[in-house]
Amino acid sequence: MESAVQVENLVKRFGSLTAVDGVSFSVERGEVFGILGPNGAGKTTTLEIMETLQKPSEGRVRVLGLDVQASAAEVKARIGVQLQASAYYSYLTLKEILSLLGSFYPKRTAPEALLELVDLSDKAASRVGQLSGGQQQRFAVAASLVNDPELMILDEPTTGLDPQARRNLWGLIREVNQRGVTVVLTSHYMEEAEVLCDRLAIMDHGKILALDTPRNLINQLQASYTVKLTMDKPMTATQLSALNGNIELIQSCEQAEPKGKEAMPENTYLLRLANTPSALKAMLDEIAKTDLGLENLQITPVTLEDVFLELTGSELRD
Amino acid sequence: MIALVLANLKMMSRNRQAIFWALFFPLLLVVVFGLFEVNGVGAADAVVIDQSESPGSELFLERLGEIEFLNLESGETDPAAAREKIADGDLGYLIIIPEKFDDSASVTLVYSTRNPDRNQLVDGAVRNLVSEIQSSNGPVVPSQLLTADVIQVDQVDYYDNVLLGLLALGIMTNSIISIAVRISTFRNQSILKRLLVTPLPIWKYFAAEITAHVALALVQAAIILAVGVFGFGGHVNGNLLWVFAIVALGSIVFLNIGFILSAWAKTPAAASGMGNAVALPMMFLAGTFFSTAALPWVMPQVVQALPLTPMLTALRDVAVDGVPIWETWPSLAALGAWIVVTAAAATRVFKFG
Repeated sequence: MESAVQVENLVKRFGSLTAVDGVSFSVERGEVFGILGPNGAGKTTTLEIMETLQKPSEGRVRVLGLDVQASAAEVKARIGVQLQASAYYSYLTLKEILSLLGSFYPKRTAPEALLELVDLSDKAASRVGQLSGGQQQRFAVAASLVNDPELMILDEPTTGLDPQARRNLWGLIREVNQRGVTVVLTSHYMEEAEVLCDRLAIMDHGKILALDTPRNLINQLQASYTVKLTMDKPMTATQLSALNGNIELIQSCEQAEPKGKEAMPENTYLLRLANTPSALKAMLDEIAKTDLGLENLQITPVTLEDVFLELTGSELRD
Repeated sequence: MIALVLANLKMMSRNRQAIFWALFFPLLLVVVFGLFEVNGVGAADAVVIDQSESPGSELFLERLGEIEFLNLESGETDPAAAREKIADGDLGYLIIIPEKFDDSASVTLVYSTRNPDRNQLVDGAVRNLVSEIQSSNGPVVPSQLLTADVIQVDQVDYYDNVLLGLLALGIMTNSIISIAVRISTFRNQSILKRLLVTPLPIWKYFAAEITAHVALALVQAAIILAVGVFGFGGHVNGNLLWVFAIVALGSIVFLNIGFILSAWAKTPAAASGMGNAVALPMMFLAGTFFSTAALPWVMPQVVQALPLTPMLTALRDVAVDGVPIWETWPSLAALGAWIVVTAAAATRVFKFG
């Protein structure tokens, strides 16, 4: 069977701005595929080309084996789309909106079944304006399933939701995926990508910087922990380099604020540590030798956040 | 597409406030014009031409002036010109006192068929007066007191013309503004974009919007006409089906204009303002309330070029003058041309995102 999505050397220019700059990837059937990146990375543009809303400047995109340009109508009929921040008719009930959307497709699912799936059966006669943010996003998922699609494309489905509503939606997306629907989503939440996606493309400035499973991306770093160290007195360059060995300095408080990073408090250093007990012991020994007084020490497992920092040199712009 | 038309109608009917104001504005004018009694049903304006200039005729004139519902106008002395005014509805009555009035010659009363109730009243009053004055000279022959010279006209009055003007006005403003506001709202909420990712063909989307709005326009037309006719004694002389057909055609032109405006309007409020800016000048220039014949310079040509003008002309031709719809074909052709031009422009400038 062909891939659900195949993107080859995709370029999209808006005037002098290159929003998508030579992107290639493929999404296998049955996967949850995430595109992770800050705002303006080119995620939405990439999705909109897959959704036939925009024409590629260069390159080729095939969805469900169909060329998105040549077979736009068939692509539309077989995919389900949730746009970023799109609303629905305010004067129709949820059930009526689903029936109406369904009437545009050759194949359709009963509104009742969709509302049941997203746990909004009791809101069938309500209007979108009467729903909470989380319910609205769940409804948007239901609306993107009216045609029983083979592929569902979700653009930042959880942006603006509180943590509980976000987890709730993750569960729903998982459930839809388990019913056999391939899912492509974008996000700028690392945690979400880590939890939800089988594979992940990290995108910035129109390019894909890395593409792998979340686990492999993290393992690529060859470090398992980040260490945030705060001393009573500043460390000298010699003392800092003495910490080296299995340790890599990412940022120290002396650095002038680099782009995208927060300024760190006085005498604070951010280090990355390999996953060996000896590395941790060696570091603590070296710190003891300096006699500068350890004020605070935080050791956290490496996350996608660190992967992103490593790849782009900046933190995710929210 | 039928599902979309039905959904559109459902949404419109649920947006009660919008419906109310769309109907309310033209209805308000219908009522205001109705209350003003623009036809002067109570008072009758009359011109008297005294060819006798005798003591009897002077007494007659004096007594005539005492009749409350008669407003005697002076100035017009040419019977032919006065007759023309009556035929045009600019004058109610002409009373000619003949040379041999004192020899019990009969007075001539000229009037049109426009206002039968008033005619009866005036006829009776004048007849009585003649009888009274001439009876002082001797016995009178009742049938020789007054000669009625009746000018046959269709039952038309100013109010009928205004009523149709208001009808066209209501359809125009509602079509332009409601579609412009609606589309710009949908665009702002990304609803249009959401529809674009479904396989619904774009032309079906437009067709559904236009069908639903034309249906609304027809309901609006029916209400305005009903209030005007039953509430304030307006008349529709022509075939109602044709009136509605013209309403539908005109509505399509203005809906297309609304689509065009919505392409430029960044917010629904801007769309509403733009709609008013287009509709209001057109309302005055196209002769909704009064004749535009006196407009200076190239304005008469400009007026002819406005889309509201052929709609009004066609409506008045059919509804007031009662001509068959095909006889007003130049107006219909103009409306058709407007539909083609505005539709082409709308599809060119329209933006979904």
